[in-house]
Amino acid sequence: MKNILLIVCTFSFGLVTFSQNVEFKSSNFKSDKEGFKKAEAAIELGDTYFNKANTLLFGVKDYKGNFIYAKKQYELAQSFNPSNALLNFKIGVCLFNSSNPLSSSEYFFKAKELDTNCDPFLNYYLGRLAQLDSKFDEAIAFYVKFSTEYKKANEFTKFIDQRKKECENAKKLITNPLRVWVDNVTELNSDRDDITPTISVDGGEMLFSSKRKNDNTPDSIGEYDFEIYTTTLEKGNWLEPKKLIGDINTKVDDVVNTMSYDGTTLLMHRSINNQSDIFESKLVGANWTTPEKMNSNISNPKYNDRFACYNHTGYKIYFIRDNEEAENGFQAVYSGMESKLRRDYATTTFLDVLNSKFNEGPMYITIKGDVLYLASQGHGSMGGYDIFVSKFVQGQWTAPVNMGYPVNSVYDDFFYSPTVNGKFAYITSNRPGGKGGYDIYKVTYWGPDKTPIVSTEELLISSIIQPVNDNAIESKVDVTRKFLTVFKGNTIDLLNSQPVAATIDITDNASGKITETVNTNSATGKFLITLPSGKNYGIAVKANNYLFHSENFDLPDGGDDNIVSKTIQLKNVAVGNTITLTNIFFDLGKATLRIESNAELDRLVKLMNDAPKLKIEISGHTDNTGSASTNESLSQQRANAVVAYLLSKGIDTSRLSAKGYGSKKPISTNDTESGRQQNRRTEFKITSNS
Amino acid sequence: MKKISFIFLFTLCIGNYFSQVEILSAKEKAFKDSIAQINEAANASAEGKEAYNRGINLFSEKKTIEAVKEFEKAIQSDPKFLAAYYNKGVAENELEMFSAAASTFNKLISIDSSYSKAYFQRAKAFFGLKEYDGAEKNYEKALKFDPNNVKIIYNYGVLRFMQQDYKDAITKFTRCIQIEPNTAFYYNDRGSCYRMMGDLPKAILEYEEATKRNSNLAFVYNNIGTSKKKMKDFPGAMIAFNKAIAVDPKFYMAYVNRGATYFTQGKQNEAEKDFLQAKQINENCAQAYANLASILILKKEYQLAFDNAQTAIDIDKFNGAAYLNRGIAREMLRDMKGACEDWYKAKELGVELGKSYHSTNCNN
Repeated sequence: MKNILLIVCTFSFGLVTFSQNVEFKSSNFKSDKEGFKKAEAAIELGDTYFNKANTLLFGVKDYKGNFIYAKKQYELAQSFNPSNALLNFKIGVCLFNSSNPLSSSEYFFKAKELDTNCDPFLNYYLGRLAQLDSKFDEAIAFYVKFSTEYKKANEFTKFIDQRKKECENAKKLITNPLRVWVDNVTELNSDRDDITPTISVDGGEMLFSSKRKNDNTPDSIGEYDFEIYTTTLEKGNWLEPKKLIGDINTKVDDVVNTMSYDGTTLLMHRSINNQSDIFESKLVGANWTTPEKMNSNISNPKYNDRFACYNHTGYKIYFIRDNEEAENGFQAVYSGMESKLRRDYATTTFLDVLNSKFNEGPMYITIKGDVLYLASQGHGSMGGYDIFVSKFVQGQWTAPVNMGYPVNSVYDDFFYSPTVNGKFAYITSNRPGGKGGYDIYKVTYWGPDKTPIVSTEELLISSIIQPVNDNAIESKVDVTRKFLTVFKGNTIDLLNSQPVAATIDITDNASGKITETVNTNSATGKFLITLPSGKNYGIAVKANNYLFHSENFDLPDGGDDNIVSKTIQLKNVAVGNTITLTNIFFDLGKATLRIESNAELDRLVKLMNDAPKLKIEISGHTDNTGSASTNESLSQQRANAVVAYLLSKGIDTSRLSAKGYGSKKPISTNDTESGRQQNRRTEFKITSNS
Repeated sequence: MKKISFIFLFTLCIGNYFSQVEILSAKEKAFKDSIAQINEAANASAEGKEAYNRGINLFSEKKTIEAVKEFEKAIQSDPKFLAAYYNKGVAENELEMFSAAASTFNKLISIDSSYSKAYFQRAKAFFGLKEYDGAEKNYEKALKFDPNNVKIIYNYGVLRFMQQDYKDAITKFTRCIQIEPNTAFYYNDRGSCYRMMGDLPKAILEYEEATKRNSNLAFVYNNIGTSKKKMKDFPGAMIAFNKAIAVDPKFYMAYVNRGATYFTQGKQNEAEKDFLQAKQINENCAQAYANLASILILKKEYQLAFDNAQTAIDIDKFNGAAYLNRGIAREMLRDMKGACEDWYKAKELGVELGKSYHSTNCNN
């Protein structure tokens, strides 16, 4: 709104800068006398309507189409001379008193700029424009100026006082807005007047009246008559309105007023030859019957009767009425009947408490009958028609109270049709933002103030903060892999391969303990035992008349290769035989016997004791790594160490000799590690057995 | 390779030879096979034990999911490996895989019904599953094995609290206090029982007993504060919340509650600061967002209010206050349908105002 006025002001300022008031004088239009005459005639005819409309307006009467007719004539003159202040003012007045009052602003501002004194009522209408723009103090100042400067202003005191009161009301009401939304029901509205949205109590059906384009012939100013439309609410939206069929719509204005609470009858008014009367129609099946004019106490030919509604009992009809003599325009009245069969509506009663010094408008009484909604230009309006509420208390209606902003605005707001729970209502208004003319608006009440809540948070149970430490688990276990390997084989004579009965001692070299002793089969020489895998074992094989045999070996870890087979060849004790002492170990590069060698050495001691005639030579051998002298020296020292051990065990020195051969007598290749390992050895040779 | 070298060495060095037996007699083969079976069982047992030990290591490293897998391997190697069942169940409880944990302990107890610790753990699993009757039976069984185990008694008390049998919970917490009279937690929890029974003064006395035994428990001061707030002792509540914050400046709940106390007293600015502080400390504090929405509604910043309430609901879909506040914001943002849905949800979550708003606004 503010922006619109700003644009208008700017536009007006532009005009003032470049134009001045051009009076309708023949001298001003010497070049177009014909045109001047036509313009002058149009103004004269327009003034006829204009003056009549003004008289009705300030007589609080229905000025009907007079302003519209006047405007049509004025616009002819305006096209001839757009720079006449008074003509601009008059067009402004015509527009202000239409359903689109804001459209008047450019003409009023232009008139003001052309000649601020063109008409004393210019201040009055500038005040009204300021009021529409919510500039209430500015509006009041214009009204005061009008009163001060216009000599006959006292004839309009009633209006000026009301306007000033409206401004004060507006200031208060806008400061304390209602908790509502007011939304244009765009799916129902047209660019022309759409009014009187009466709904069923469940809010699901609506009838309303509209001047939208229809099949009838528009009047001389291009306006169509009011017709009644119906629509249904589906999933929160109103379906496309359809014109009621049958005789309910005619070629004159047919304006629906209200439906009965059960939705089976409706009240409407029709205007025929400037005479409006109230009619009633009934719903039979899906169609409304031909409306019947109410009896003469309600539809009285002396009066204009409009906007009727039922009361909650159905025995009374409330409506508004005016006549030529009335000073305060349409007044609220009701008529009651004693019998619904006879429909004997009695003489009307004026509802004095509801009536003001200005026009009253449509009424609606709730289904409980305790609340009445009334539109009025008087009472505590904030501008134009406002909707008021009155309560039925102790048998009387209370003084109407403005429903408040933004249900009401500084524009016309009238007709109030609520849902049964009061959460929603539909009204008519020409406030800005609509589709054109009067529009239907939906009011949604938020209800009482809704209080947001805050809540607290706590930990009532300690274990949430510090859980009980109950997740101790069982401890680790020892992992041992005790795999067994099958150790099988046989003992045979080296020379003739015949089975030899022998005794085999198996020593766990890590512990030095004999873990198994097995006698081989005397017939086959076979043996079959199990040994724990993953260890190094020494075996010592003894048989009568055979040289004792020893060796060591590893049984691999794991259980995959679980069998090892061995054939043991035994040698007869004969001079010249040489036996490798496999289980004798020395520290690396030294001649120091390691303790693991004792078992083997002790077996040799036993052999020497078992065969007391036996004489032997202990020989040391190396691989070819290193110098020959070093190897010979080391092998001699190692042979000496073995002899020393045997001597320490009581073997006579005459039976023993020691010889270091270095690498001179290899038994395998020195080119591989395994070969070199075999070459690094200690042997004994039988030199005598007699 | 090792095997080949081994055979080669013996063959060349000593003139004898070791070799795999090419042909075995039936007797020898049977003997060999029986040894192979023994070896296989030994290998499986060892691998199972190794998996079990790895599981323990992983559990201690907080790699609980991986630990469960190792314990499972151990069970597969030895289906009667009781310790593996137990550890697996404990780990599953830790992971809040309560259903799996209950199943594991069921199996363990079916193998050995005298495995006493398993009942306590199975009770914990049932508790996690909110199968309170099952938890109760297992706590009873655990107590038969170990009647003075304070952990069992305490957890049983917590169960009773959850079952809203506050009197029995008090009995259990009292027994805990008899066994460990200096443990503050038991007083706090007994106080919470009184609080739930509506005896706020007695609750506060218990909370204060807790603070005497441990003056560094912010949540206990917080409980004092909320109790005093309920009693409309706002100054007392503020003192308690301030103490909670002094003890633990990062204890966001105290800010939420102090803010709520300010809000109740109409001090919106102070309330907003506290809610913001709570949000800053804990960005997942649903109540801070829900309460901030209230402030924003009063400021008529409905979109922001909606956003905050939405965040609260995203964090905690059972936050009734958030639904109520989002409903108010939605109404003001012209989403009446959404507002009605929110108020209905708030009503379902026990918010009285939700019921009121729904009934007065959501029917024609």
